[in-house]
Amino acid sequence: MNENAKRSQDIKPVVIDIGDGAAIPSRGDRGLVSAWKLSFFFAVATLAYLLIFRPTPYVRLIKFLPDGILVTFQVTIFSILLAIVIGLLTGLGRISRNRAINLVASTYVEIVRGVPLLVQLFYIYYALGQFVKVPDMVAAVVAMSFCYGAYMGEVFRAGILSISHGQTEAARSLGFNRWQTMYYVILPQAWRTILPPVGNEFIALLKDTSLVSILAVSDLLRRGREFASESFLYFETYTMVALIYLIITLILSKLVSIMEERLSRHVTR
Amino acid sequence: MFKRTLFTLMALVLLTGTALAKDIVFATDATWPPMEFVGPDKEITGFAVDYMKAAGKEAGFTPVFKAVAWDGIFAGLDSGNYDAICSSVSITDERKNAMDFSTPYFKVRQALVVPKASTVKNIDEMKGKTLGAQISTTGHFAIKKVEGIKDKSYDEVGLAFEDLFNGRIDGVVCDDPVAAQYALQNDKYKDALKIATIIEAGDEFYGIAMKKGNTEVLDLVNKGIKAVQDKGIDKELQKKWIGQ
Repeated sequence: MNENAKRSQDIKPVVIDIGDGAAIPSRGDRGLVSAWKLSFFFAVATLAYLLIFRPTPYVRLIKFLPDGILVTFQVTIFSILLAIVIGLLTGLGRISRNRAINLVASTYVEIVRGVPLLVQLFYIYYALGQFVKVPDMVAAVVAMSFCYGAYMGEVFRAGILSISHGQTEAARSLGFNRWQTMYYVILPQAWRTILPPVGNEFIALLKDTSLVSILAVSDLLRRGREFASESFLYFETYTMVALIYLIITLILSKLVSIMEERLSRHVTR
Repeated sequence: MFKRTLFTLMALVLLTGTALAKDIVFATDATWPPMEFVGPDKEITGFAVDYMKAAGKEAGFTPVFKAVAWDGIFAGLDSGNYDAICSSVSITDERKNAMDFSTPYFKVRQALVVPKASTVKNIDEMKGKTLGAQISTTGHFAIKKVEGIKDKSYDEVGLAFEDLFNGRIDGVVCDDPVAAQYALQNDKYKDALKIATIIEAGDEFYGIAMKKGNTEVLDLVNKGIKAVQDKGIDKELQKKWIGQ
């Protein structure tokens, strides 16, 4: 290794940051912006083309799917709300000085991260179904938020730790107790760091809700599968389902990037 | 060089081996006891599997069974992943448009399974209730035909029975031999479930499905089925797997 390479390695540590959510376009990243525009244009144009020029299966198909889209959104929104609550508690637990609370929160995160989401869904629905009888939607929401709560906990923990310790010291010296410091000083500031990854998790969760179709929840994917296995139009159905998921996640990722810019407007760089 | 010779030899052996009796690959969703299911020894077994083995012996082909999930089973036939489907496929007009069928090999009707305490005698009494079935089976179609019943589709019929057992749905509709297996013979369910009624929607017949125009496989399978029926082997198999 020559001197130059060594030096640049010293200065710039390699950071590989790949989430499972859709790529969030940001203003500074021109390449990604055009990728967003390209894929969005491609998806909408394909959808329009199919509906206008191939109406025979596709119009029937798009009339069949809307209640599935609704269920997908319901599961996503309820899950994310519950996951934020679980995530906040987990995040606070993970930085807690109380050893017992810390251990409980950390164990929860370890367990959730070690079991595949698909297995968790089967477990909560069928294995625990023998003891607790809950409707399918509730089981789906509980399973999704149980899983995403752990990821969200890590987001909250990182967000809270990103606030400089001086803030805590200042608040404590002004006479705030620990709870007040967290609630009035740290969390409002951390929220700005936390929101964008939460948006990212939201998109990832929306995609993962396709897994709940195994619980016989009639989400978008399940409706598509019902249509396909009845009409034998596999290519047409899954093209449509993929396009709808793509358009939804692209719109959401745009919204998240707008939100991200709004939030960082007042931050001096 | 040695490796190459060995490889050629092995290839030759394999080729001649298959040339003696033609292999026909059947896709089967082995979650449909007693017709086709995975036995304790992890082998696919059941009435239809024995039936095809007997037919193969009569007509000179070797059936090979491949486990495939139900809701993709017709797509795989279309893309040529296997030669035929032997998975309790009821012959319907819609399916006949998309694929060819052998001569029927078994007669079924749709049965409604409910909890033991239920007093339901007819599927029309289930209005406003939720009935489960395996996705896009004739049982699922039968539920959709009745106005006012909420249908719930499962990947496997066993999951529907588990949900019925756990009280999440009010009934399950499926082929009568399968219903009998779960509601009358299964140790876990037989004390909790019962067959409420047989849905009168005309008789259905199982057939072996194959890609349109695949006459080679069609002729072989039909020949086998005819021989099995002529010799009365199907009656023996029925006694063995289904009872009276």
